[in-house]
Amino acid sequence: MESKNSMENVFSKLGDLKQFFVFGQKIVPVIQKIIDFMSDVVPLLETVNNSIQDSTSKIPKASTQINSVTSANEIATSEILDIIDSMFVDLSTIKAGLEELKNDQNSEKIKTLNEVVEKIEMDSSRITISLQVQDITAQQLASVNHLIDSVQNKLSSLLFDLGKQQDRPIPTFDANTITEQDSDYAFSDGTFNENARYDRSTEKQELVDTLVLENTKTSQEEIDKLFAK
Amino acid sequence: MTPKKFLVVDDSTTMRRIVANSLKAIGYTDFVEAGDGREALTKLDTDTAINFIITDWNMPEVSGLELVRSIRSHDKYNKLPILMVTTRGLKEDILEALQAKVNNYVVKPFTPQILREKIDQILASI
Repeated sequence: MESKNSMENVFSKLGDLKQFFVFGQKIVPVIQKIIDFMSDVVPLLETVNNSIQDSTSKIPKASTQINSVTSANEIATSEILDIIDSMFVDLSTIKAGLEELKNDQNSEKIKTLNEVVEKIEMDSSRITISLQVQDITAQQLASVNHLIDSVQNKLSSLLFDLGKQQDRPIPTFDANTITEQDSDYAFSDGTFNENARYDRSTEKQELVDTLVLENTKTSQEEIDKLFAK
Repeated sequence: MTPKKFLVVDDSTTMRRIVANSLKAIGYTDFVEAGDGREALTKLDTDTAINFIITDWNMPEVSGLELVRSIRSHDKYNKLPILMVTTRGLKEDILEALQAKVNNYVVKPFTPQILREKIDQILASI
């Protein structure tokens, strides 16, 4: 009786073993597919990794170039403002000269010339107003630089995790490479408005005026309430 | 009240020149400049003739808003008129500036006429 039980036990174990081999036969092609997939994907990951490292190395240059654009724009704007200032001085001289030349015969001509001078003055003022675009675009570029810096930090961190830093040094943004002029636009938080737009419409100023008026009214009401007590 | 001397605060040299030129265009010729809020506070301490401030918002070191709050919390300067000139035109920005007690607010780009209008409004209200 005991030997019968033992045999049944052996047959049960053999059944389990058979099932294991049947399962093995089924799983082997799947494992093979995983191995094939891994051999395909590893070179791809290597390419992605190299690409990230390559992009990361280019980011500091992009940042420096954006700062150079901002500096160049500021220099050019300053030169234009110098010329406009000089034009205003010249126009004052012309106006004074015209006033001295004025007599009964040429008063109409002088009046016309004065109007031309005034038009040039107005146009110069309009150029000055348009030059505010330099400050606005500088803030937009600072915002882009801030974004680039964030991407650079993320990529550097990713490369660090991938262990790639052991093979080649990861280029990082070096504040020392920024010139003194560039440093005016170094992209720390709060030094720029990411929503800065060159918008000549009066919409925003109208909103300001409404809110200022409401604020003044509220303040006056508060004062009135205070004195009514 | 007549403004004796303006303090123009902006980190952009271009904008400081444009504000200064606009002030000249509307008849105000006496002004000093500062590149950020910290420098502005130093100028206020050393130049007692300053009695009107025109400030930008986004600046390094001490921002325009921090400058306004600092001035408003200072016994000696808290009555000084302050006009904020900035690119920030969102409602929440404007309300934040008004809450900090700026006297008026101008959104860039501005014209000398707008600057004059706001200065006149401030002068009439104090």
